[in-house]
Amino acid sequence: MASTPRSENQSAIPALSPARPVIWPPRARTTLSNGIEVVLVESHTIPKFTGQLFFRSGNAVTAATAPGLADMTATVARTGTTARTSRQIEEDLRRMGADLSSGAGADNSVVSFDGLVDFSNELLRLVAELTQQAIFPAAEFERERRQLLEGLKIQRTTPGFLASERFRRVLFGAHPYGTISPTEAQAESYRLEQFKDFYARYYRPGNALLVMVGDFAPQAMHEQVEKIFGAWASGSVAEAPNPPLPDLHGRRVYLVHLPGAVQAQVLVGNRAITRKHPDWLRLTLANSIYGGAFNSRLVMNIREEKGYTYSPRSGAHPLRQHGYFSIGAAVRNDVVAATLTEIFKEIEGMRSTPVGEDELADARNYLTGIFSLGLATQDGLAGQLATATLERLPEDYLETYRERILKLTAGDVLDAAQKYFDSANAQIVVVGDRAQIESQAATFGEMEVYDAQGNRI
Amino acid sequence: MGSESTGDFLRQLNIPIQTTTLPNGLRVVVSPDRAAPVATVGVYYNIGFRIEPHGRSGFAHLFEHMMFQGSANAGKMVHIKLINSSGGMLNGSTHYDVTNYYESVPSNALERVLWLEADRMRALKVDDDNLRNQRDVVKEEVRVNVLNQPYGGFPWLDMPPIAYRNWANAHNFYGDFDDLDAATLEDVQKFFKTYYAPSNAVLLILGDIEMEEGFKLVERYFASIPSGPQPEPANIDEPPQLEERRGVVEEKFGTLPGIAIGYQAPRRLTPEWYAAAMLDQALHGGRVGRVYRRLVLEQQIAVDAEGGIQYPVGDLFDYNGPTLMVTRLLHKPEYSADQTIAAYDEVLEEMKQQGMTAEELDPIKVKFRSNYFSMLEGGHGAHIPRYGLMHLLACFTLFDSDPHLVNTILGGFMEVTPEAVQSVARKLLTRSNRSIVIRQPAKKGAV
Repeated sequence: MASTPRSENQSAIPALSPARPVIWPPRARTTLSNGIEVVLVESHTIPKFTGQLFFRSGNAVTAATAPGLADMTATVARTGTTARTSRQIEEDLRRMGADLSSGAGADNSVVSFDGLVDFSNELLRLVAELTQQAIFPAAEFERERRQLLEGLKIQRTTPGFLASERFRRVLFGAHPYGTISPTEAQAESYRLEQFKDFYARYYRPGNALLVMVGDFAPQAMHEQVEKIFGAWASGSVAEAPNPPLPDLHGRRVYLVHLPGAVQAQVLVGNRAITRKHPDWLRLTLANSIYGGAFNSRLVMNIREEKGYTYSPRSGAHPLRQHGYFSIGAAVRNDVVAATLTEIFKEIEGMRSTPVGEDELADARNYLTGIFSLGLATQDGLAGQLATATLERLPEDYLETYRERILKLTAGDVLDAAQKYFDSANAQIVVVGDRAQIESQAATFGEMEVYDAQGNRI
Repeated sequence: MGSESTGDFLRQLNIPIQTTTLPNGLRVVVSPDRAAPVATVGVYYNIGFRIEPHGRSGFAHLFEHMMFQGSANAGKMVHIKLINSSGGMLNGSTHYDVTNYYESVPSNALERVLWLEADRMRALKVDDDNLRNQRDVVKEEVRVNVLNQPYGGFPWLDMPPIAYRNWANAHNFYGDFDDLDAATLEDVQKFFKTYYAPSNAVLLILGDIEMEEGFKLVERYFASIPSGPQPEPANIDEPPQLEERRGVVEEKFGTLPGIAIGYQAPRRLTPEWYAAAMLDQALHGGRVGRVYRRLVLEQQIAVDAEGGIQYPVGDLFDYNGPTLMVTRLLHKPEYSADQTIAAYDEVLEEMKQQGMTAEELDPIKVKFRSNYFSMLEGGHGAHIPRYGLMHLLACFTLFDSDPHLVNTILGGFMEVTPEAVQSVARKLLTRSNRSIVIRQPAKKGAV
């Protein structure tokens, strides 16, 4: 290297050079004759592949009778098949250099896996076995249930969980989205037959989506998939129930009392929209400016100016049937009221005044840039593809995402804030030690107080 | 991370790497990969929380926060705003022996990232308001991660004061609040001067850049930063441990008793270190590991079992001083701590007495290799591509003066024999080489 540095004006920030385009990797999207949708994408970053086999049925299906049943079904499904014991399954995974996890959210059940491409055929056979030939051994089920029960107890001492639980209950009431976890009593009453039934009903090809990204040739991989999953007898399933939602008028406060807490967990928000709604990108951009990015108004205010909190963030959360908008922060006890005041002040700012052109351009750049970052790893790419395909978004959703973001205007942001930052009807959850925070929280609306078990007190 | 399509998992890694050292002492590593139009930049300083000043526990981490508060030509908020508005993500983290600052951006923003990192390597420009502000932020970080969470800090903050005798290794790395309160602006500038000289750092550029262009940009922005004196080497040695150490810590929220057991681990890159990595995979390594299988799946004494070298706040590669191989258990309340430890000891005794077969070790190697590839590619969520590669290159440069180890280090693990694993098990897994933390749930009174 030359040893004489070129003289530079260190005070001038270098301009952005022209952006290199994102080159989309070849993608093969097909539906097998039995109904399984398959998305295959090449990515040669490492000699591995990653995959997710989804079933479009999750905990929402049984929320009314047995919350969490889909999650427990997925958990126990990995503990034994007609051909392999639990121990064999785990040892085979290690032999293939593979990781595998199974679980369920509100809308989907999923088996996620990754491994070395050399073993792709074997790993896919194991995934097929877990999703078609699980036998639900009673002893494994009882062991998993005990682990679940202990986990549920610990959950009830975790501020983030308690805040989310109350918040979702308030926003969605008796709708399945209003319940994010079983109670201990509900987990106690699970019966093995319920899992077998859920598995038989919902782990069906017509309900399935297989997404795989990795160091393979799509044509050869497709033939392999066809061979392994093609013979699965077809079948489709009913949609999850969608009962009416509670009417929410005016701000209300829900305090969850956690004795001895040395900090208050604040969670504020309202129902919003799903990813399929035409306003979704407008809301995404408005959220990014409000509190979705490090460089957002809320983070700058309550973290970087006021030092109330470490990790404040807002988010637009899309579920399949409905969505919601939330603002969360863990703050020191004596600034609960001050934090809520700033949260609402920043919302009013977003709702009343169009954002300036610089702030708008910065936020559009942020969203398009991190989108590109998210495509640079096998996992990131698989996640994006899964999102777009699971919710049956338009075929070119990902390819056109950045140009659609870049077209959004200050008017779009204002419109989204006015529609979806529903300040007047915001629901406010605060988790903490009642004596430290009650009087502060009570000034923001009519208040209900709950204990950590979920009982009104 | 080569771009050719081959599935041979035994093939030699061939990640392109070039290095240089600037006249001011800054080491530089460039590793191009043009497949995606994104780049990751890291600056690693050879200072972690072990050697922060006495009476200033938590200072290395507090200082890391201060590095985002303003530098010579980029005032408060500029750092964060500049990266986010360029479409990028940024963060920093404090470890035992290094502190890092990193950004991932679309590659058209690479030059301004380098400008920014150079600016804060040149001079920190912060005031009392910034310090007050970040002290408050850090306290909320400690509360949300430790003081207000079940099993917060278990065992990464509980273990050091029990396992170690040298303050450097034994103190509260997140910081006692009194010490955080005592920190002054003078401390900040002194720390910067002592540990943040170019010669105490390595700069890494990965991704969408040509080698030559990368070095040209480095020259442009970093070459004129004045050199500074190297810090005095710190004493982080531990006196020999002669007997088992134990301590009890109250668990304020959680309902289950916890136990953490830590064994002093070998020095990096020694033959024992490679063997200990395989031993660690045999014992921990998820649901198939011996500890989880025996205690959780078979005997059902514990409901969770995890562990690893430097678990849970570091890994096999990023330490350069005394460290532990840790197992963390949450066990059923109907078993006592002694019963649980006895069951755990049986697992270890079997390894020591009977060792392992090649039938067990070979799959462990396959899995280790597979994990290594994933770490290189990602390793830190979806938005920091190549974080793991960056992290390894930095540690191999700062600790071992050889970033090329990233391509060759796997060989050492693949050569480990079953006999070597048994031998290291016998040497490490002794009572006099271990420390135990019992995390005891508080008696719940009437509330």
